[in-house]
Amino acid sequence: MTMETEKLIERLAEVVEPVRPLARPWIRTAAWLLVAIPYIALVMFVVSPRADLIAKASEWRYVIEQLAALATGITAATAAFATVIPGYDRKFLFLPALPLAIWLGSLGDGCVEDWIHFGPDGLSLQPDWFCFPAIVLVGAVPAIAMAVMLRRGAPLTPHITSALGGLAAAGLGNFGLRLFHSQDASLMVLVWQVGTVFILTIMLAWAGQYLLNWRSIVATARRRVLIR
Amino acid sequence: MKGQLDDHALATLMRAAQGGNTQAYVLLLKEITPRLRQIVRAQRRFLKIADIEDLVQDVLLSLHAVRATYDPRRPFMPWLMAITRHRLADAARRHTRRAAHEVQVENVPVTFSDEGTNIDGDEYRDPEALRQAIEDLSPAQRAAIEMLKLREMSLKEAAAARGTSIGALKVSVHRAMATLRKALIKES
Repeated sequence: MTMETEKLIERLAEVVEPVRPLARPWIRTAAWLLVAIPYIALVMFVVSPRADLIAKASEWRYVIEQLAALATGITAATAAFATVIPGYDRKFLFLPALPLAIWLGSLGDGCVEDWIHFGPDGLSLQPDWFCFPAIVLVGAVPAIAMAVMLRRGAPLTPHITSALGGLAAAGLGNFGLRLFHSQDASLMVLVWQVGTVFILTIMLAWAGQYLLNWRSIVATARRRVLIR
Repeated sequence: MKGQLDDHALATLMRAAQGGNTQAYVLLLKEITPRLRQIVRAQRRFLKIADIEDLVQDVLLSLHAVRATYDPRRPFMPWLMAITRHRLADAARRHTRRAAHEVQVENVPVTFSDEGTNIDGDEYRDPEALRQAIEDLSPAQRAAIEMLKLREMSLKEAAAARGTSIGALKVSVHRAMATLRKALIKES
């Protein structure tokens, strides 16, 4: 259905309501963390924190891995929020690259060390199916909050935006998981935990087309113009 | 010839529009529409005038829908151009998808001999009368039109939302279309 552009402009002006401009990506990330962090803390206390958590806090490898997972989540969230702003600087896309590289690098280094100390036994891989549902559980509320916040923006790159949002939620999910799940063998963490993070990221990237699309928001705008 | 407003002036109008200022919004949209038309025409030379106008309207609706994403501290035109670029790319993808499923025919067969059933919907250009005609429909028919034609929901989604069957919804939308057609032909 086509209406004359002049009339469309008049109708758009008739229905225009005040809107609050979206805050900058860093500020939106901080707002997202205000929801995500208390939820992760709540899950940790409900499930009960790992017995050696205080001792682990002085182990540099554990601290680096946890900080890198947290930083990956935070920078991915900022990048995701930037991608829904038309005209954003594409450099934002590379924000999570450094913490992600540190995270993977640290785990890779751990695998090499395990190999050196224990030989092939140090790299044995057992099933750890707990990781997937646990990361989903810890990442669920951050993911929902992220989706709600992203939908306030422009769906410029739905797949990339959703992938970054998924990486943010799953990264935080993995950070939370390691606060109550005593699995620190580097290869196990790399395969089961980081593997889960990547699987969730890919799944959400695929879902991006349904979560964020112009069709629904333009249809809503068109409906308001026609109906009101 | 009237000079074009610079980016600073457009940004000021956009800020006012974000605050709900109707006049500023009209001014802004009227100022950018010829520019959008020019951009679409330059990038899609093969399109007919009506199709170019459709794309311009699509960009205007998109701008309206995401106006909260404009950062008042930043220039306006790069923001608008990013939306335009994405909407044009989107339209091109849609066109390619549609073309892949299209069957070319020499003569489009008429569905019924009645003239009213063979009107080209794209020729209709009076939104006010259409809005009125939709408002005059029965609640069930209006809901069916709103969900299926305006919100572009699928039959399955709309049936679930209304708590009715797909068949009943099909009947409602068919009757609504017939009523609208009659009402609009009467007016024209």
